[in-house]
Amino acid sequence: MASLSLKKITAVWIYTILILFVLAILMGITMRFTQGKTISVSPIEFYLLMTTHGVTMIGIWAAAGIVAVNYLLARYIKVSTSLNVFALVFTVISILMLWASTFIGKFHAGWTFLYPLPFHIAWETWATPMFLWSLMVLSVSWFIWTLGSMVQILKKYSLRQSFAIQHISKKSPSVETPPLVLISMVSLLGMVVCFIAAIILLALLLAEYYSAGKFVNDPLLIKNLTFFFGHTIANEALYLGLATLYELLPEVSGRPKFKTTWYVALGWNCAIIFILGAFFHHLYMDFVQPKGFQIFGQIASYFATIPSVVVTIISIVTLLYNNKIKWSLVNLLFFIGLMGWIIGGIGAVIDATISNNIILHNTLWVPAHFHTYNVMGNVLFSLAFFVWVANEFSDNNDLQKYNKLVMPLLMVGGFGFVLMFYWAGAYSVPRRFAMYPSELSSGTALASAAAWFACIYLVGVLLVLFDVLKKCAKVFSSSSH
Amino acid sequence: MRKSFFFFIALVVFSNVVLCNTNGLYSFSEEEKLFKPIANIEIATAEGEISLSDLYDKSPIILVLVFTRCTGICSPLLSNVKENIRQQQTNEKYKVLVLSFDSSDSISGMLQLAKRYNLDEDKQWIFATTDRIEALNASVGFNPVWDSTSQQFDHEALVVGVNGNGYIVKKLNGLRASSDFRSLIKEINSEFVLSYPLPRKNMLFSCFTYDPATGKKKISVGMLVMLLPVVLTLLVVAGLATIKRKPNE
Amino acid sequence: MEEHKFILFLFLSAAVLVAGIFHFLYSTTLNPPSESEGLQNPLKKRGFVLVFMFIVFVVLLFVTVPKSPYFLFSNETPAKVVYVNAQQFAYMMSYKSIDLNKPEIETDVELPLNEPVEFRVTSVDVTHGFGIYNSKAELLIQTQAMPGYVNRLRWKFTEPGKYNILCLEFCGSGHAVMRSSFTVK
Ligand code: HEM
Ligand SMILES: [Cu+2]
Repeated sequence: MASLSLKKITAVWIYTILILFVLAILMGITMRFTQGKTISVSPIEFYLLMTTHGVTMIGIWAAAGIVAVNYLLARYIKVSTSLNVFALVFTVISILMLWASTFIGKFHAGWTFLYPLPFHIAWETWATPMFLWSLMVLSVSWFIWTLGSMVQILKKYSLRQSFAIQHISKKSPSVETPPLVLISMVSLLGMVVCFIAAIILLALLLAEYYSAGKFVNDPLLIKNLTFFFGHTIANEALYLGLATLYELLPEVSGRPKFKTTWYVALGWNCAIIFILGAFFHHLYMDFVQPKGFQIFGQIASYFATIPSVVVTIISIVTLLYNNKIKWSLVNLLFFIGLMGWIIGGIGAVIDATISNNIILHNTLWVPAHFHTYNVMGNVLFSLAFFVWVANEFSDNNDLQKYNKLVMPLLMVGGFGFVLMFYWAGAYSVPRRFAMYPSELSSGTALASAAAWFACIYLVGVLLVLFDVLKKCAKVFSSSSH
Repeated sequence: MRKSFFFFIALVVFSNVVLCNTNGLYSFSEEEKLFKPIANIEIATAEGEISLSDLYDKSPIILVLVFTRCTGICSPLLSNVKENIRQQQTNEKYKVLVLSFDSSDSISGMLQLAKRYNLDEDKQWIFATTDRIEALNASVGFNPVWDSTSQQFDHEALVVGVNGNGYIVKKLNGLRASSDFRSLIKEINSEFVLSYPLPRKNMLFSCFTYDPATGKKKISVGMLVMLLPVVLTLLVVAGLATIKRKPNE
Repeated sequence: MEEHKFILFLFLSAAVLVAGIFHFLYSTTLNPPSESEGLQNPLKKRGFVLVFMFIVFVVLLFVTVPKSPYFLFSNETPAKVVYVNAQQFAYMMSYKSIDLNKPEIETDVELPLNEPVEFRVTSVDVTHGFGIYNSKAELLIQTQAMPGYVNRLRWKFTEPGKYNILCLEFCGSGHAVMRSSFTVK
C-alpha cells in the first residue's frame, strides 16, 4: 500500500499538474480566440503560447501517467518516494526554464522545435540554449524516473514476468503478473527508449549550437529523431493512462479484477513494437524519406491500434455489458475517456493513410485527433485517478456523490472543441496559423466557436479541480495512517 | 520479448543505413534542359552510321561526353562511370554511349579509347563520333570552350540520362557516387525518384562522407552516433536483467 | 462525394457509431435483466473482432497505398518543371533551377492544363511546406521543403484558374502569411 510520504508527494504532483493544466488551457483558449479574431495577439506571442502550451501539456500528462502508476504499483511492489520527489523537483526546474525561454526569451519554434528552426534565431539569443537545456533536464531526469520505476518492478518480478511472458507460454502460471504491472512495464520501456532518443537529439542540437557553425546536422535525420521522440512520448503517456484504467475501473465498478491472460500479454507486447514504428507517418510528406519507410509507417500505424484496442475494448465490454454498475465520477471519466480515445484513434487512422495525409498533413486535422485522445481520453483517465485518489486521501468513500454537471460540461465542451478542429481540418485549414487567410475564413469562425467550447470544458475541469484539491489537502494534515 | 527487441534493433539499424544512403553532389547546370528531347543526330560507331533514335528506341542511354586528347577530367570521368556502372547489380536495360565532342576525333581513336578501358568487347558500351556535335551540345546544355594556349577544351564532366522516348531526364555533373548513378538508371527507365540531395558543408554527422577526388564514399562518425540509442537501450535492458529480486517483500 | 467532405463524413459516421455503441453499453448497465450473466464467450468475440479489424486493415492497405503521392504520374514526362526555393517567409519560383548567387525569379508562373507538371521544392533556411490550394481553397496536394534536399512533386491540373500556395510547415512568426500563387491556363 502507498505510504504516507508517497501519498504526500502524489498530492503535490496533482497540485502541480492541475494548476499547470488550467494555465495551459488558458493559453489554448487564448490561441483559439486569436485565430477567431475575437482578441488580438501578435504572431510572436501566439507562437510562444503555442510552444509553451504544447510542451507543458505533453509534459504534465506524461507525468500524470507515471505518477498514477507509481502510486498504484505500491499495491504490488515497494515504491520509492524519493524517486518521485526527485522527478518533481527537476520537472519544476525544467518547466521554469522552459517558460523563461518562451515568455521572457520569446522562443517560439513550436513544441517539436523542428531543426533548423531553433537556430534561425528570431528571439533572445539565450532563449535557444535555455529551451534546449530545459528539455535536456526534463529528458535526463525522466529517463532516471522511468528507469527507476522499472527497477522497482524488477525487484519483485523477473524481466520475463514483468512483461507477462509466462502468461503467453503457459495456461496458468505460478506467478501471476497483474495487468497494471504489465502495461506499466511496456509503457515505461517505451518511454525509456524515447528519452534516450530525446537526449541524443538534444545533444546533437546543442553540439551544433556550441560549435558555432563548424558542425551542422542533417535535417532529415533530426526530423526522424524528433518524431521518434515526440510521437512515442505522447502515445506511451496514453498507455500509462490505460494502465490505471485496468487497475481501477473494475474496482470502482464493483466488478472482479482484471486478470492477465495470454492474449492480454501478447497484445500489449505487440503494441510496443508497432508503436515504435508508427512515428514514420510524421514524415509522409518528406519525399526524401525512403518509400519503404513510408509504407511501413502506414502499416505500423494501422496495426498499432489492433492489440490495444481489441484487448482493451473487449475487456471493458466483458466488464460492463449487462452487469449492474454503480456509476460514479471515477468510472464515468474512465468510460468516456475510453470513448474519446477510440474516436481520436479513428481520426488518427484516417490521417495515417498516406493517400489521405496528402490533404490532411499539417492541417487542423492533426491537432483534432491528438486533442481528442488527450482532452477526451488521457486527461479523463488521469482525472479519474485524481478523483479516486483524492477520495482515498480524504476517506470519502462515497463515490456516488459528485457534481452532476461535470460530465455534461466536459463532454459538450471537449467534443465541441475538437469537432471544430476536425471540421476545419477536413476543409484544409492549416494548423499553426496565428490567423487565417481570407479565403479560409471558415477557419476563423470555427476557431471562436472552439474557444467557447473550450471555456465550457474549462468550467468542468475547474469543478473537478476544486473538489480534488480540497480533498488532497487533507493528506497533509493527517499524521499517520 | 527478446525476439521483439531484436526486431526493433534490426529495424533501427536498417533505418540508419537506408536513411544515410542519400548523399551526393549536385550542380545547378544539371537542371538545364530537363525533360527536353535530345537532338536526334547521326553518330559513327564501330558498326557504322546510326541515329540516336535507333539507340534509344531499343533501350535508354547514358551519354558520356569526352574527347581523346583530353589531359584533364575525361579519363577520371570514364573510370568513374565504368566503376559505378559495374557496381549496379540490376537487370534494367540501358546502353552507355561514350561520344566525342571534339570534331577532330576519329572513330578509330575512340575505339582505341575503348580498348584502353577494356570496354571494346562490352556490348553495353558504344564509342562514337559525330559531325553534328553542336546540335547535340545545344540540346543537352553542354558548352565546351576551346582554349588554344593549352590546346584543350575547358568543359564539365557531364553524364546525360536519356529515356526510351529520347528525353533528357537526368544529368550528372562531375565525378559522382554510385547512389547518383542508381537514381540515373532508375530515371532513364521511367522510375520516378522522388528526391535528391543538395551539396552541404560541415556535415560531420552525416553517415557517409563523399570524396570528390576519388568519387568514393567513406563511412564517417555519424553512423556510430546514430547507433547510440540502440546500443544504449540494449545496455539498459541488459542491466535490468541483472537486478536482484526480493520476491517475498 | 468530394474528397474533403468524404473524409469528414467518414469520420463523423464512425464517431457516431462508436458513441452509439458506448451509449448502448452504458444503458445495459443500468437495469440489466436479473438472469443475465453478462457477455457470453468473450474469447470468441475477441477473436472475431481481431480477425475483422485485421481484414479491414489489409483491404484498406491494398486500396490506399497505390494512391500514395509517391507514385503519381511517375511514368509520364512532365511538360513543365517549376523550381521552388522556400525561405522565411516567401517562395522563389522559376522555370530554371535557382542559383542563389544569381537567382532568376519568375513572378507570374503559368502552368499548362491537363498535362503533368513537376515541382522541385527545396528550402534555403528552415523546413517549410508547399501546399497547393485550388480556387475553392481546397488543399490538393503538398510536399515539404527541407533544406539540403529537393522534393519532386508531380501533378496534373484539370481546372484552369488561380492556385494558391500556402506554407504547411511551421517556419516562424511569419508562417501564416507565407504564400504565393500561379495560374493554370
Ligand atoms: C481544452 C483544452 C485545450 C485547448 C483549448 C487547446 C488548444 C490548442 C490550440 C489552439 C492549439 C494550436 C492549434 C493550431 O495548431 O492552430 C493547440 C496545440 C497543441 N495542444 Fe492543445 N489545447 C487543449 C488541450 C491540450 C491537451 C490536453 C494536450 C495534451 C497533450 C494538448 C497538446 C497540444 C499540443 C502538443 C499542441 C501542438 C503545439 C504545437 O503545434 O507546437 N492540448 N492546443
Ligand atoms: Cu514557411
